[in-house]
Amino acid sequence: MNAPARHELYVLEEGEKPVEITDDTKIPNAATIKVVKQDHTLANMVRGELLRMNNVLFAGYKVPHPLHPYFLIKLQTDGSETPVKVLSQACTKLIGDLSSLEQKFQREFSFKDARVDGPAGDDPYGTGAGGQAWAAGRDYLDF
Amino acid sequence: MEPSVQVRDLKRDRVNFVLENVDLSFANSLRRVMMAEIPTVAIDIVEVEMNTTVLPDEFIVHRLGMIPLNSMNCDEALRYNRDCTCSVSCRYCAIQLVLRVSCNDNETLHVTSDHLEVVAQTSYDDEGEVGDELSKRSEEFGHPVGKGNPNHQPVLICKIRKGQELRVKCTAKKGIAKEHAKWSACSAVSFEYDPYNKLRHTSHWFEVDERAEWPLSDNAKEEEPPRENEGFDYNAVPKRFYFEVETVGSVSPQEVVLKGLRELQAKLANLILAVQSTSDMPSIEGADVPAQMAMQPPGPAWGAPVATSPNNPYASPSGGQTGAWGGGSDQWSGRGSGTSPSSNTGWNSTSPSWDSGSGAWGGASSWNI
Repeated sequence: MNAPARHELYVLEEGEKPVEITDDTKIPNAATIKVVKQDHTLANMVRGELLRMNNVLFAGYKVPHPLHPYFLIKLQTDGSETPVKVLSQACTKLIGDLSSLEQKFQREFSFKDARVDGPAGDDPYGTGAGGQAWAAGRDYLDF
Repeated sequence: MEPSVQVRDLKRDRVNFVLENVDLSFANSLRRVMMAEIPTVAIDIVEVEMNTTVLPDEFIVHRLGMIPLNSMNCDEALRYNRDCTCSVSCRYCAIQLVLRVSCNDNETLHVTSDHLEVVAQTSYDDEGEVGDELSKRSEEFGHPVGKGNPNHQPVLICKIRKGQELRVKCTAKKGIAKEHAKWSACSAVSFEYDPYNKLRHTSHWFEVDERAEWPLSDNAKEEEPPRENEGFDYNAVPKRFYFEVETVGSVSPQEVVLKGLRELQAKLANLILAVQSTSDMPSIEGADVPAQMAMQPPGPAWGAPVATSPNNPYASPSGGQTGAWGGGSDQWSGRGSGTSPSSNTGWNSTSPSWDSGSGAWGGASSWNI
C-alpha cells in the first residue's frame, strides 16, 4: 500500500513553506505567489477581492493540476503598492467582511433560535420529531 | 456596500439564508468550505470480529462509515489522530464504538445505527498528551445521530435472520470531507443567484417556449422580473445569493455556517502570515509591512493552528524569491502537463468562477469511499 496519506492534500508537511513568492523578471510590479495545500476555495476568493481593488492591474489564479494541491496567484499592481502588500490588504479586507458577516449570522440565529425550540421543523428524516439534539442540549455556542 | 445576510428559515437540520452584497467568488468559497472543510467525526477503522450476515465485510464497513455521528463542537472536542502523540488511538483522538447483534427469533432483525454503542474509554498508558478535549464534549458526542430518540428513524445497516450475527469494533476519528465525503457535515448546499438569468450566466435550452419550459424558482419572488425587451446589462454582477444548507444531523446548521466563516478567516490569516514572513526578507520592500497587518487571530476560535513568530515554521531565512522555478526564466513551462484539460491551465482571471463551480469534490481522492 503505497498510497500517499490523504491528508497530504491539505496539511502542510513538516517544515514545508506555505507560500513561495516569485517576483516577475519582465513585468514591473508583478509577482507570482504559489500557495501550497490550498485550493479554489481560497484562491478564487482572494482573486475576486484583488480584482475589486483599484491599484491592481491584473489578478488571476490557476490550479495547474487537479492532483497537485497548490495554486498560483499572479498579480500586477500599478506601482503604488507592492503585489505582496496588496495581497495582504485583500486578505485583511476579506477577513473583515467575514467577521462582520459572522456577527450578522449570530444575530440572525439568536432571533431564529426560539423557533427551532418550538414544535416547528422536521428532524433530519422528515418524521417531525420532537427535538433533542440541538434544542435541548447544549449548543455549540455555549462552549 | 457591507455584506449582509437574512436568515429566511432555520430548522433542526437546515438553514435557508440570503447573502447580499458579496462577490460571486466569496459566496462560492463559503459554499465550498461548508461542504468540505467542517470537521466531524465518522467511523474510520472497523475490526470485523464476526460477520455471518448476507452482506460482505467491506459492504458493512462502508455503510458504518457513512453513519452520521454527533459532532457538535468537533473542533475542540477531539484532536486529529495524525496530530496526537499516542501510538495508535486514544480517547483524545478517537471514539470507540461497538456493534454486537445476533438474531435468535424467527423474524428478520434490522441492524441499525441505534445498535452502535459508544465504549467509554478509560485512561491508559499509551495515550496522547493530556488536553481539555474531554471537557469540551457534550454527552452525545460521537453517538449515532438520533440515538435514543423514539421519533427518530435510525440508519439501517443490514438485515439479519435467525442464526446470523454481526460483531464489529469501530474507531471513529475526526476528519474533513476534503479527505472523504463521509466527514461532510452537509448533505446538500444549494446555491442560487440571478433566478431570472438576467446576467446570462447560463443559456436555457428549450423546444418551443423558454418560459414555459424553465419554470422559475421560488427565489424569483425576491427579485424584480426583467422588463419586456430589456437590454442586456453587461456590467451587472450577481449580488444576491440564495443558500440552503442541509446537514446530515451530525452538526447543527448554525454551527456549519459559523464554522465555515471561521475556517475561511483562518485560511486568510494563515495566508497573510505566510506571505509576510516570506517577504519580510531584506531583499524585498515588504520589510515595511505595518505591524497591524500581522493579524493575530483571536483566541482559540481559529481551527487551524496559526503560526506565530517564535516558532514560526515559515520564517526560515532562505527566502522564497528565487529557486523553485529554476532561475525564474520560463515560469510557465510546466503548464498543461499531460492529461489535464485546458481549462485547468488557463488563468481564471476575469470570468466568474466557472471551473470552481463544480465544487468541493474536485480532488479525485475525495471519492475513495
